[in-house]
Amino acid sequence: MKTPLLSTQNLQIGYSNGKPASKIVGSELNLDLYQGEFVCLVGPNGAGKSTLLRTLTGLLPVLGGEVLLGGKNMRQYSRKELANEISVVLTSPIQVGAMTVSELVAMGRFPFTGLFDRMSENDWRIVHQALEMVGLLGFEERMVHKLSDGERQKVMIARALAQEPRILVLDEPTAYLDLPGRVSVMNLLHELAKNHSQTVLTSTHDLDLAMRSADRLWLMSPGGKIISGAPEDLVLSGDFQRVFARERITFDVMNGHFSVAGSHESQVCLQGEGEVRVWTERALQRIGYSVSSVDQSTGLRIAIETSENGLVWQVEQGNQKNEFTNLESLVSYLRGSSSLVSN
Amino acid sequence: MSSDSINTLGRKRTGIFIIFGVLLLLVVALNLTLGSVRIPLQDVLKVLFRQPGVKDSWVFIVQDYRLPKILTAILAGMALSASGLQMQTMFRNPLADPFILGINSGASLGVAIAIMGAGLAGGLFIPALNFSGDLGLVAAASLGAGVVMGLILLVGRRVNNPTTLLILGLMFGHATSALVSLLIYFSAPEKVKAYSIWSFGSFTGVTWNQLMVLIPVILFALGILAFLPKGLNALLLGEDYARTMGLNVTRLRVLVLISASILSGAITAFCGPIGFIGVAVPHIARNLLKTSNHKLLIPAVILIGAIVAVAADLVAQMPGSQFVLPINVVTSLFGAPFVLWIVLKGKRGSTSFNV
Repeated sequence: MKTPLLSTQNLQIGYSNGKPASKIVGSELNLDLYQGEFVCLVGPNGAGKSTLLRTLTGLLPVLGGEVLLGGKNMRQYSRKELANEISVVLTSPIQVGAMTVSELVAMGRFPFTGLFDRMSENDWRIVHQALEMVGLLGFEERMVHKLSDGERQKVMIARALAQEPRILVLDEPTAYLDLPGRVSVMNLLHELAKNHSQTVLTSTHDLDLAMRSADRLWLMSPGGKIISGAPEDLVLSGDFQRVFARERITFDVMNGHFSVAGSHESQVCLQGEGEVRVWTERALQRIGYSVSSVDQSTGLRIAIETSENGLVWQVEQGNQKNEFTNLESLVSYLRGSSSLVSN
Repeated sequence: MSSDSINTLGRKRTGIFIIFGVLLLLVVALNLTLGSVRIPLQDVLKVLFRQPGVKDSWVFIVQDYRLPKILTAILAGMALSASGLQMQTMFRNPLADPFILGINSGASLGVAIAIMGAGLAGGLFIPALNFSGDLGLVAAASLGAGVVMGLILLVGRRVNNPTTLLILGLMFGHATSALVSLLIYFSAPEKVKAYSIWSFGSFTGVTWNQLMVLIPVILFALGILAFLPKGLNALLLGEDYARTMGLNVTRLRVLVLISASILSGAITAFCGPIGFIGVAVPHIARNLLKTSNHKLLIPAVILIGAIVAVAADLVAQMPGSQFVLPINVVTSLFGAPFVLWIVLKGKRGSTSFNV
């Protein structure tokens, strides 16, 4: 049995604010983090993900229980010793003013350079390596405030890597990014764990990306309880669905994504194959149809055909027959006809 | 490799520093020669190198009037700019400076209490004191400045909004000014007049003896600052990042508080409240060097601050006329539009943090 890099025993997290009454966000947390794994901390807003990460990185005090880091109690670490073990990337975009990428990444060497911050050849080599790992070689002289949000977040990851941490902790690193930026950052974290056996712990709201790339999920429920396990196990056990249960939102176990629970009153029989079928199904589900291939006697049938001019959707409803050349017109037709029916 | 390209960038910046040095020499030379009386440069040089053959009155003007005044201006420019830079980084506020956050008022309160409370001899605010008296004055002013800055730090921890911080500073400034006014109200009329003259701000009137106090005090506070660029750079990322990098944020704050309040307190004690140099010079330095790196910014603001202060004094002398403007008139006339410009351009991803 491997020994974990970081483990918590009956950890209690929350804010103390110096007042006697502290706000407990979560308790009885028993978690393990192993060398080289990529763990995503997921859970609904307000579950206490940030509080947990801030506690594990030493930004908030441990309110109860223990955090063991490399077998040693975290309370025994000085701030500087902790900086050798853990480095962080935070949610909020930074405002450093005018600074080059290499200057910013070089700040990762902070715990290792002396009082006057003199960088050795070795320090610069590590900065270079960190930039290489995040795929930003050639960006050294670019100004940080002129980069895109995604690039800037990768620079912050490079800075954290230059700190040569045993554990890289990220608090919602993708929150301010556009979709390609999110995919790219999550993929980068996955590769850091896979190719460089860098231990990575990140919180995220991108459940889909987390499920596809994480080795394990820490699933945090609003009560401050955490269930950990492989993403697939958590789905099969039903824990995943339960934690994110919300009115009218259901987790589609077959497709692995969340969907708005429609009434699915109308049924449609769809004939067709391949990717066209997949996207036609999505369009139909979006407007509240449940799709099957079996011919039911509900009367609505759609067949996908290929003609000389491209794709054609043939719609048969009772004795009415219509043809459409794109899904937009098909959808607007079905919407119109269903409102006619309800009238 | 990146260290090479940093060297080319470094060469460009070395060039800028050489230009600063030349500019400083130029404004100092102009300030020595120009004024109500125009003294040719060769005669100025003769006085400086103690050569004979110069009119006695000119020797007096250069040696006991212009030279201490210029040295005071250089010290004031360096100190106020360095103080402003530290405060802007620590408060993460582009408008932080000793004048705007009311820290000068704290310094004047310190001086007022010291003189009235201790019943020291001499006129209020332009005291002809002995060495220990001058040092006591500096200590009182720095303490006053430090108390106000500490209060702003304490209360400011609870507010994240930069505008709130400025209002906070404004209120602290008003409160301390009110206390000073109260002390003035119960003072003799000649002290009131002395106070109003002092509050215009001036580099003149600082004697060689007082400079012997001022110079080591300023060098001491700048000496503290020499150890801080690494920590101040880390603070640029925000307090959370700085802490996870192993920075002792509280210790850094205390050191900044000591350095910045001595710098602004000592200058305020001898020169009066001088506005806008502390807020403007760090921005000039950031824009010229295109960096927020304190390893470069600290020497840059010290040089630029000296240049700006000596140049402002040169303008205040209104060469060719018999009039001398109060130094605050000059710094405010140039400084206020500059601050407006900082506020207006602040929102568009500038070289500094946003307002």
